[in-house]
Amino acid sequence: MSAIPAKPSREGGISESLYRLPIPWKQIFIYLSAIFAFVYLAGPFAWIVISSVMTSEEAVSVPPHWIPENPTLMNYEAYWNPAAIENMREERRLTVGGVVAAVPVAMGNSIIISFAVAFLNIVIGALSAYPFARSQFRGKTTLLVLYLLTRMVPALALILPVYLVLRQIGGLNQKWGLILMYMTFTLPYSVWILKNYFQTIPRDLEDAARVDRCNWFQAMIRVILPVSLPGIVAVGIYSFMAAWGEFLFAMILTQTPDARTMPVLVAQLSTELGTEYGFLTSSAVLAVIPPLVLALIFQRMIISGIGAGAVKG
Amino acid sequence: MIDNNYSQAGSGGVGIKPLPAPTGGDELSTWQALRMRLNESAEVRAYLMNAPMLVALFLVSAIPIGYSFWISLQKYNLRQPNDIRFIGLDNYISILGNAEFWQSLRVTAIFTFGALIGQVITGILLALLLNEKFVGRGILRSIMLLPWAIPGVIAGVMWKWIFNPRFGVLNGLLLQLGIIDEYQSWVGFDPNLAIASLIFVQVWSALPFNTIVLLAALQGIPSDLYEAATVDRAGMWSRFRHITLPWLAQPIMIIMILATMNGLRVFDLIYVLTGGGPGDATRVVTFTAWKKAFDALDFGIANSYAYILTFLTLIIGLIYLRILYKHGEIEQ
Repeated sequence: MSAIPAKPSREGGISESLYRLPIPWKQIFIYLSAIFAFVYLAGPFAWIVISSVMTSEEAVSVPPHWIPENPTLMNYEAYWNPAAIENMREERRLTVGGVVAAVPVAMGNSIIISFAVAFLNIVIGALSAYPFARSQFRGKTTLLVLYLLTRMVPALALILPVYLVLRQIGGLNQKWGLILMYMTFTLPYSVWILKNYFQTIPRDLEDAARVDRCNWFQAMIRVILPVSLPGIVAVGIYSFMAAWGEFLFAMILTQTPDARTMPVLVAQLSTELGTEYGFLTSSAVLAVIPPLVLALIFQRMIISGIGAGAVKG
Repeated sequence: MIDNNYSQAGSGGVGIKPLPAPTGGDELSTWQALRMRLNESAEVRAYLMNAPMLVALFLVSAIPIGYSFWISLQKYNLRQPNDIRFIGLDNYISILGNAEFWQSLRVTAIFTFGALIGQVITGILLALLLNEKFVGRGILRSIMLLPWAIPGVIAGVMWKWIFNPRFGVLNGLLLQLGIIDEYQSWVGFDPNLAIASLIFVQVWSALPFNTIVLLAALQGIPSDLYEAATVDRAGMWSRFRHITLPWLAQPIMIIMILATMNGLRVFDLIYVLTGGGPGDATRVVTFTAWKKAFDALDFGIANSYAYILTFLTLIIGLIYLRILYKHGEIEQ
């Protein structure tokens, strides 16, 4: 504030009269920027959706067809209709048939894994966060810092040993192996969010519960958790998103289709099967839909969560 | 941390309501004893409640962190499985003397720095726009979440599709607009263009988060500040420079920290979009380490790469933290 030069103010200055000029330059600029932002943010996804309802031939046309001539769900159909794979030409079926057949499985895997991770994050995260928010115990700060420090190590440093550990305990190519792995990615952050959230809840609430003969555990379940719903939902969404999009571990830890997730499959379509554009675009769209739906449903919560959390530090 | 006193009072007050006294004999059942302990001791309770997390972290964080560091001190090449032995810091020494490492460090630095600058600028611009009133602002705010919801790998695949040198829509669009004369290879030919394209995608992915953070801060600026500035006949730039920017200092700092961390550990994007190419132009440290592990099967070297990166991340993290402390933005 003090940095603003305190010039003597004159009423009805030049800028004031400029502002009354008929051409609303500012408005024009704002709307042009908004259109540009809109295209920049939504354009790429819109294009892959458009491409996915074209035939592979039309999708690669030059110049691009901005509006598909004959929109078709052909590229999606193969995912739920096994006959579509059987009708493929022999050599095409051999190269791409397996991957296409794996898409529904991968979709199911991704959903199961992400929901499990979200659910476990809420349960274990709330359990762990509660003492951090409410009581004083030896090693509290150390433990919290330790949790957060585990996130400083790049995933790459963990991948080989994790592979060996999971092989030892039979967790390779298993959904639970990935779930366990993703838990450790997400839990430190979940504990952090929930701890902060619990701390904003007035202590009087629990005290009142205790007067009503609740012990601390009942107080937590009946009083704290219900009022913490926004924090809990935030943790659920955050960990669901993290699990859904994870790639490196999913790629290494699942060699068979049994536990393979959508990101791995889409990447495989993109890097190994270069010309199957129909399946590439449609599987990419499928992989985006669940997180996108979540984001749209909970957008207010996400926006206020990111804003508040990050601004608070 | 924040409410120490509060918590102190709480741990004393945990046992306000004692459990019903054990009935039916002198001996407590195990279950009752456990419940007694839980209510008596904040320590026992805290650690019991943290037990599931500690077990999980121990299995897939602590053991791997220690184990991979141990591997980094060994000659550990699966091509020579009979010659696995402890060699101390030799892996690290050989990496530091290797041009390949410095090249990948250089690429990582350029990528991280470019993404950092791009993220701050685009974030501020979009936040300023969304802070204005216009028809359709609500729609734009919803649409804005799109890049945030798209997983990193999928974003990479999507942009690879858009960047395609032969039929990509970006080429088509720019050609129709008359900005380029012929189709370009965005990620496959010119090293500088490839890095720039990667930065572009990284910035795009991070834009929603950054904008939300900055927008929240913008909305917290008291409007009388601007009114006072208008009275003082401060121009638009001057108002931005002297009111908006200082007010955004902390969120910008947070964005810079996150952008740096995410830039240093970028992998998914490189893997699907460029595969490290053209040549080694976009081989960041994580990608080189990946190559070492899964092409050369040299796990010793790969893990050393990972630890050098960890070390760098820690150092940069500490520098940022110091700056934040100095500015008094973190209260102890």
